[in-house]
Amino acid sequence: MNANAITKYTWISYTAIRSNLAYLGEVLSRTTFMAVILYTFMRLWTVVYSGTGTQRLGGLTLQQMIWYVMLTESMVLSSVRVSSEIDEDVRTGRIAVQLLRPLSFSMSRLAQVLGERTVRFIVNIFIGSVVATLLVGPISISFTSIAMLLLVLPLAFVLDFLGYFGIGLCAFWLESTTGFVLIYSRLTMLLGGMLLPMEVFPQGLQTIARWLPFAGIIYGPARVFVSPDEAMLMHIMATQAIGLVCFGATVWMVQRMAITRIQSNGG
Amino acid sequence: MNRGVEIQHLKKNFVLTRWSGFRRKVSEIPAVDDITLSIPQGESVALIGPNGAGKSTTIKMLTGILHPTAGDVTVLGFVPWRERRKLAYHVGAVFGQRSQLWYHLPPGDTFELLARVYNIPRSEFVRTRDQLIDRFVLGPFLDVPVRKLSLGQRMRAEVAASLLHRPKILFLDEPTIGLDVIARQELRDLIREWNRERGVTVFLTSHDAGDIEHVAERVIVINCGRVVLDDRVNAVRRQYLGSKVLRVQFQEQPSDFSMPGLRIIQRSGYELKLEVDSTVTPVSAVIGAILRAAPIADIAVEDPPLEEVIARIYTSTSQTGGSS
Repeated sequence: MNANAITKYTWISYTAIRSNLAYLGEVLSRTTFMAVILYTFMRLWTVVYSGTGTQRLGGLTLQQMIWYVMLTESMVLSSVRVSSEIDEDVRTGRIAVQLLRPLSFSMSRLAQVLGERTVRFIVNIFIGSVVATLLVGPISISFTSIAMLLLVLPLAFVLDFLGYFGIGLCAFWLESTTGFVLIYSRLTMLLGGMLLPMEVFPQGLQTIARWLPFAGIIYGPARVFVSPDEAMLMHIMATQAIGLVCFGATVWMVQRMAITRIQSNGG
Repeated sequence: MNRGVEIQHLKKNFVLTRWSGFRRKVSEIPAVDDITLSIPQGESVALIGPNGAGKSTTIKMLTGILHPTAGDVTVLGFVPWRERRKLAYHVGAVFGQRSQLWYHLPPGDTFELLARVYNIPRSEFVRTRDQLIDRFVLGPFLDVPVRKLSLGQRMRAEVAASLLHRPKILFLDEPTIGLDVIARQELRDLIREWNRERGVTVFLTSHDAGDIEHVAERVIVINCGRVVLDDRVNAVRRQYLGSKVLRVQFQEQPSDFSMPGLRIIQRSGYELKLEVDSTVTPVSAVIGAILRAAPIADIAVEDPPLEEVIARIYTSTSQTGGSS
């Protein structure tokens, strides 16, 4: 990618950030839901920890567990359902406007999604940190934990984008992609460790789930932030790299086929 | 003169799949059926036809969005569907109901983004943007979020955005849809000015006869995917748009009057609907006769509906065996 291309896509992200900041109130209102979830999980995990009489579950203290859930929720709630947007663009014919630009369709959507998600995630994690601190107190956050998060988070966002984008492209063949979106989002939540870190999964499921791309989307970034570990970081990045290659190759092939199938919807 | 657009035997069939129980039925619907056209650079062309005639499909193939089933096309020397991104640098487009402006941001922000998307050098961008702001009178709302603009303001900003990279060809799909009379006329004037002064080739599709008359030099009528008429707008106007419809509301029963080229379409009470062949009798002469017939309460002069004009074109071309 040359300098001009980098400028184009960076500017798309920047414009998406500005566009999202224009309705920050709406973004903020979404975090109310997260406060409710965190309170519920705080109560739930308090009972579990006191019931088992242990200080650590899956290697995490109660405080770390709540901060883990705060991070996973911040990521899930910042997700941009790009599949629904592509679905609608294909059905209404609005995709024509996007294809008239000297841009890669997938790269421009990725740049836009990353911009939108950055705003949403920052708002979520800011509000989430305040709520988590009020509920269970702060955890020790080191430079290492922040650096590890910043290393794996962009890859997690790109991986998640590829998943939703690939499903969105199915709109070229299907009337609606809602069913696939539902399955994919639930798989991400369950196998990605949104509610529970993988350490508390049954052993067999844990072994499989650790190598699935979903682990690199939610579990990985949250886990290395609350309990930084170099070996864990390497494993997460390897999972993300495999996921990016598999998802990326699939999306590339599907997009090539999809572009030739565009129908002239809506005049 | 340069050949801006060359189309040879262009065809596009859409595949329709239907399931009847467990049996899959595949059928092909021809949307564009053997179109051959040559459009010199700098010309303004109106593509007209009823819904589903194939005009938008043709434009989408010319911009590289759709792949044709058969035929050859070059636009400014590019094969659109193979060189879509290269061609995009030279093409501007406005799809009336599909905005390219960012909804929550002012038009100025979209202009800044487009400058990067089209790799426009800063000095050139500033010069063109300022010209467009001046000519399209965008200044008063350049910093107002698009969601707060009127439709007329938004459409002016849309067209300006499509001209920012100084395209050689401008595709306009229903650019005046939903606009009031004044905003519509303003936009037509701006498009015509850009075509005549800057040499931008304009491709216009519209259901509004006024758009065609004011913007285009040449009109191409498409029906069922085929070109049924290709002629200068002046010639078509003389031949098919020569008639006007007059709606008159009298204050009392009018005395009888008749003139050559005048036909009463409808009469109810004090209201008359007339059709005037303006190539035979000028509209002004007819209005004079109406004023002499009785005092009037209201009068309106209208173009015949485009559908009617197209219907006449179809009748005429079917009698002569069609032309393209």
